[in-house]
Amino acid sequence: MKNLSKYLIVFIAIFGAYSCTDLEENLIGDVTTEINVDGIDTGGGGGSGGPLSAAFSSLRNAGTANHGGYYSVQEIPSDEMVICAKGGDWFDGGILIDLHQHTYTPSHAMLNGTWVQTYGAIGTVNEALAGSLDPNQNAQARALRAYYYWRLMDLYGRVPITTTPGQTGVAQATRAEVFEFVESELLGALGISEVSSSMDLSGSALGTDNNPYLINQFGALGILSKVYLNAEVYTGTARWQEAADAASYVIDNGGYALCGAGCSVPNLAKRAGVDTDPEMLEGYAAVFAPNNDNNPEHIFTVNYDEASAGGMNFVQMNLHYSSQFTWNLDSQPWNGYATLEDFYNSYDDGDARKKASFIQGEQLDFGGSAILDYASDDGNLVLNYTPEINELTPNSLREAGARPGKFSFQQFGRPDMSNDYTIVRLGEMYLNRAEAMSRAAGNWNMGLDDVNTLRARANASAYTSLDAAEFLAERGREMFQEASRRTDLIRFGEYNGTWWEKPASDPSRNIFPIPSEQITASDGTLTQNPGY
Amino acid sequence: MKKLLTTVVFAVVALLFTSSEIYSQRTVSGTIIDSETNEPLIGANVLVKGTSTGTITDIDGNFSLSVPSGSEELEISYAGFSTQSVAIGNESFLNIGLSAGQLLDEIVVTGYGSQNEKEITSAVAQLDAKDFNLGAITDPAQLLQGKVAGLQIYNRGGDPNGVSTIRMRGISTVGANVEPLIVIDGIIGASLNNVDPNDIESVSILKDGSAAAIYGSRGSSGVIIVTTKSGDANKETRLTYNGQIATSSPVNGISVMSATDFVAAGGTDLGSQNDWLDEVTRAGLTHIHGLSASGGFNNTSFRISANVRDVEGILLNSGFDQFNTRLNLNTKALNDKLSIDFNTSYTTRQSQIGFQEALRYAVLYNPTAPILGDDSPFPFNSAQFGGYFETLGLFDSFNPVSIATQNRFDGDRQEFNYGANFAYSITDALTYNVRVARQSNNYEERAYYPTTSNFRGNASSPTRKGLAGFYDESKTFNLYETFATYLTSFGASNLTLTGGYSYQQENYDDNAFSIGDFPNNDLDFSNIIESAQDLQNAGFIGAASNASPDDKIIAFFGRANLNFDDKIFVNASLRREGSSKLGVDNQWGLFPAFGVGIDLNQYLNIGPLNKFKVRYGWGLTGALPSLSGLSREIRNITNDASGAVNTTLARAANPDLKWEEKGEHNLGFELGTGRLGATLDIYKRTISDFILERTVDVVEFQVDRRYENAGQLSTKGLELSLDYDVIQSSDFTYNTGIVFNTFKTILDEYVIEKETRANLGAPGQNGTNVILVKEGEEIGQIWGPVYVGVTEGNPDFEDVNGDGVLVTGQDKALEDDVDFKVLGKGTPDFEIGWTNQISYKGWNLNAFFRGAFGHSLVNTFRAFYEPQLSTQSSYNYINTELAVEGLTTARFSSLYVEKADFFKLDNLTIGKNVDLPGDYFDNVTISLVLTNPIVLTSYTGTDPEPSLVDRGPTDNGNSNANYYDVLSPGLDRRNNYFSSRSIAFGINLNF
Repeated sequence: MKNLSKYLIVFIAIFGAYSCTDLEENLIGDVTTEINVDGIDTGGGGGSGGPLSAAFSSLRNAGTANHGGYYSVQEIPSDEMVICAKGGDWFDGGILIDLHQHTYTPSHAMLNGTWVQTYGAIGTVNEALAGSLDPNQNAQARALRAYYYWRLMDLYGRVPITTTPGQTGVAQATRAEVFEFVESELLGALGISEVSSSMDLSGSALGTDNNPYLINQFGALGILSKVYLNAEVYTGTARWQEAADAASYVIDNGGYALCGAGCSVPNLAKRAGVDTDPEMLEGYAAVFAPNNDNNPEHIFTVNYDEASAGGMNFVQMNLHYSSQFTWNLDSQPWNGYATLEDFYNSYDDGDARKKASFIQGEQLDFGGSAILDYASDDGNLVLNYTPEINELTPNSLREAGARPGKFSFQQFGRPDMSNDYTIVRLGEMYLNRAEAMSRAAGNWNMGLDDVNTLRARANASAYTSLDAAEFLAERGREMFQEASRRTDLIRFGEYNGTWWEKPASDPSRNIFPIPSEQITASDGTLTQNPGY
Repeated sequence: MKKLLTTVVFAVVALLFTSSEIYSQRTVSGTIIDSETNEPLIGANVLVKGTSTGTITDIDGNFSLSVPSGSEELEISYAGFSTQSVAIGNESFLNIGLSAGQLLDEIVVTGYGSQNEKEITSAVAQLDAKDFNLGAITDPAQLLQGKVAGLQIYNRGGDPNGVSTIRMRGISTVGANVEPLIVIDGIIGASLNNVDPNDIESVSILKDGSAAAIYGSRGSSGVIIVTTKSGDANKETRLTYNGQIATSSPVNGISVMSATDFVAAGGTDLGSQNDWLDEVTRAGLTHIHGLSASGGFNNTSFRISANVRDVEGILLNSGFDQFNTRLNLNTKALNDKLSIDFNTSYTTRQSQIGFQEALRYAVLYNPTAPILGDDSPFPFNSAQFGGYFETLGLFDSFNPVSIATQNRFDGDRQEFNYGANFAYSITDALTYNVRVARQSNNYEERAYYPTTSNFRGNASSPTRKGLAGFYDESKTFNLYETFATYLTSFGASNLTLTGGYSYQQENYDDNAFSIGDFPNNDLDFSNIIESAQDLQNAGFIGAASNASPDDKIIAFFGRANLNFDDKIFVNASLRREGSSKLGVDNQWGLFPAFGVGIDLNQYLNIGPLNKFKVRYGWGLTGALPSLSGLSREIRNITNDASGAVNTTLARAANPDLKWEEKGEHNLGFELGTGRLGATLDIYKRTISDFILERTVDVVEFQVDRRYENAGQLSTKGLELSLDYDVIQSSDFTYNTGIVFNTFKTILDEYVIEKETRANLGAPGQNGTNVILVKEGEEIGQIWGPVYVGVTEGNPDFEDVNGDGVLVTGQDKALEDDVDFKVLGKGTPDFEIGWTNQISYKGWNLNAFFRGAFGHSLVNTFRAFYEPQLSTQSSYNYINTELAVEGLTTARFSSLYVEKADFFKLDNLTIGKNVDLPGDYFDNVTISLVLTNPIVLTSYTGTDPEPSLVDRGPTDNGNSNANYYDVLSPGLDRRNNYFSSRSIAFGINLNF
């Protein structure tokens, strides 16, 4: 036993060997907040492109122009786009049909994705705001964040408002409260207390220079115009005059111009073997072309680039597999989104917007030969996009439906596109002013001038009179593929109506459900919207 | 016990083959009796000491044996009796009495030492080389498949380059590594890749928490301790050669339509007739050669071996060449007080990983499509596709033969490890050990898709054709351990104390890049990537690299083993362990274990029993996911269009992240008579605070992901092993053994009440999650609508809740009114393994059956391709007996969930010892092994074995994501290799 105690000391010595107990984890393969890569301010998220670089980049990743997020939930439930189940393809558990027929539920994956993407983007803006910004940058960031909250308010109604990184216990605001926040943030950025025809923006921290990838006074006013135009939906109180004044101010003072005759860019989709392909894209088509940067109509856009700034995937989402040979595409498309036949037919044949907005008819490859689809299911091998769609599900023909092509494609295009995506453009300002003025006056003909300005640009005949239905149709033709249609249908009271393969829906569908996954994650802070 | 019995049987088998033609021999005969009762002992093992020459006694206890001249002693052994050596002298008849009562002690390797089998108080199984599965083994885990109750080993399909999924008692954790800890010759965290099956002496499996707790955080999923063969000091050098040649062929392909049936069913006729599965598979030829030398001199012993495995898979251009060498050296110094063990091994493996996708596309490719473009019914530019035909314009469809023959996907792994153990006996009672080990593993992968390959080579596109992929990975593991063992006794009781310190450090880095757009197909441009046009165009080159921080585990451990009078055994251990992965305040964890065992037979003396042990053990272990930076905020670097760099949050920090803990209770009973051995284990394990990346409130965290301690799982199970010598006579023996296990895992607590997982994928079944995970319920439930019939091509589903409203949309899967049901579960109710070893007059036969029951599989091939979609008549249709005529819409339902119960003859070995004249060879054994010859199942897919982990969907030529979901068992994905059967001829020569 004497020995035992000696040996116990040895054991204790071993146990006491705390000399090598350093457990610090020095991450060398990951970027964390503590790490400052040269030029990358991880804390503020700004990076080498300035403190707002990450904030504005977030627009690309917030579902703006790809499948599964904001764009999808704005477009598919509307009467302008549909994704049909093509045999085994694109059924996807019925969630696309649920969107089309307004039978979505709180566990709809895209509604959850949209929520997560949008709050993620808000988080990035909040990080920028927590860093050191000059007054102009601060105003831009607040305006951008207000834009995101407008999206959330429009989609989900009641959402929490978080304004600083890591804020805990944020309560779910009412839709009216979110409206108030969005309005006051935008007014704050503009340095005014209200929008009026006589407002003075000289005190605004926002600038007036035209850089559509940032937010200037006109971008902020454009967003405000959208917000006011829908104010009645959000709060029950119409704000038509402010909507009209904001749009009017942009039209009158912004220095922007509609892209009409003579406003053109080289046609990057031009096929050497197809004589009918124009050398240039002019007018309306130029506004959305792959090389549409610096278009005079752009007020606030998202800067996409096929190599450095991906995130716009219409080429994959919309085209048939074999359309790869029309544009010499780098990757095979997915054959998803199509246009509803009635919507396609609402355009006059001479309307330049029709040709600019859709891919339709028999398709030729880059050499001018007909593209053959050897897996064709309609008995005709030639790939031919028909405006008619035989059925929604289960066996929509693979080539049924005109394809959205307004954000047009280019030869040798990649899965990611380079077109800049329009959030605020002058054309919409004309529409907003026309509608707001008409509604304020109770007379749709008040908008004739503005609407006819746009129609003239598109070589469409001028209206001599207007009513609500015709205005809505005209707005649809102008704003196709710009993620506006769901909001417009709700404002016009048509969202619950019927269209192709879409029965009437309950008004509770006008607000999406709060995603159930988020209700769970919030630990009871979030409650569900009525009707779900 | 099992070991002993099987030893006897094997010895018998060996003896039956013993030569009687060798010259200069004489015959010794005799009788073996129980010295207490004077009853003859039947089947006692009689061996000429130091040789493999021997026999067993007959029913009267008699034996007769040819003894080579110069032999001095016989060794007599019998289950339950002390082994006895008897000098032969000049006797020709020996009457030998064996004394019972002294149980033969088998030494079982446990953590940081070994114990007598009787002293063990936890669920431990030990297998020796003779228990292993034979045949053309490609992965050491296959040696153990089905042999240990509670140890699940499945290599679905049987890709020669695939890695078996190993589970001890089901899943032990959700987010962490669920594979057991591998310990090879004392080196923890070793890799099974680096040991050749030929070199393994024994494997010890620590099943429960009380045994594994000494390994702390890494022992949660069980521990597999491998001991490699070593030499004997003072023995002549012996050479052993093992050779095998095997051929394998596909079994259970997937039943698809022939060209004729396909056209009749409305398929698009492209004019040819091809059986695509046939076109991409082959009879795979395998060679295995192993040579070892072992021996020793003075105080030194050694064993050195070299093994070559050249394996061809059944898929064209898949297989591997492996070369492995190992040296085990032991020497003693300082008056034998210092014992030094040195082990080193080197393995290099060149794999042709090949393309499993060829099998997938062979299933769905149009059977009337030609192989070559020149046979196309319409004008086709064959040259553009390397001469092959391609169905252009179709989603997810590639010529299988082109995939398998035009492209290249190779892996090259180099593993090197060494370990040295120094054990110094300070006194007879106190031993001090120092162990140093290092492993390094370098792996590189090369993929090349030429400009003419439509599959990933982009041949159909006018631009950017050809792609080369490069991947390099390097891992190192350093281990430093020191521990001391002190033995003491108090009267009839013994106490062993062990205490030590362990330092483990792992480092990992990898890099990958891909580049494409090559000039043409005249060269393999992956060797001249400066030719790639991607260099001229921004944004096409793919590149990524990772490096882990120093991933450290530091531990202090102690253990006491108490033996009271050989009757009561108590083991207790404690490990305090810290990890660099956890939140700063939660880095250290304490892992205690306790076990007690009583040999009741010492008190009860029940007649025929020579063992009746009851034991109970409890232990706590921990677990951590393998990723680093779990508790930290992680950001992604992104760009804006101007090229400027910025970062966004990818994962939120969780400074409170703490150890995941597994507590396990195990109650065991061991029973033995001379011929029967039985072990029953009942256990309950609770895994609390399991670590999982989960959805968190994006409003608060700016991102919806972070690691949390997310819930609790509990498993209850039962394992039974039986081993029985049915017949023991001098020329006929039959031994049979069964292992049985059953368990159930419940998700007790989870951060969300329920969710669905495991998306089926494209085409058309995205958003279709088929596995339900729900608090309070068993994991692995397959969830979906119930198929009842077909109307106008569409499936009709059951109104499960009978409310008159049919709710079957996938986004309503979690709604209260959904008409979904649990359609099956991914994990089996029970599994059995049944070993039969028969020897008769020099022949031996080993038949091993294996089965799993109660599990289902989602047959995804059928779910996508069995309905005869009118719009997709360019794919082939799956055509099993379950196909529903007139169904033209693909919707997931009970129709595609199949019971996958199976019972198979896994391995059939027939062997014979051949006597060769002359004394050049000690002995020669030849064997014939059939692997997987008979499979009984109703499952219509390629392989009914349970799918324990889900790897997610892949489509349209994309690669599988590096993703393993253990909460979603039960999916037979479209990316599995097809299973094979093989015939192997083997020869074992001892010089």
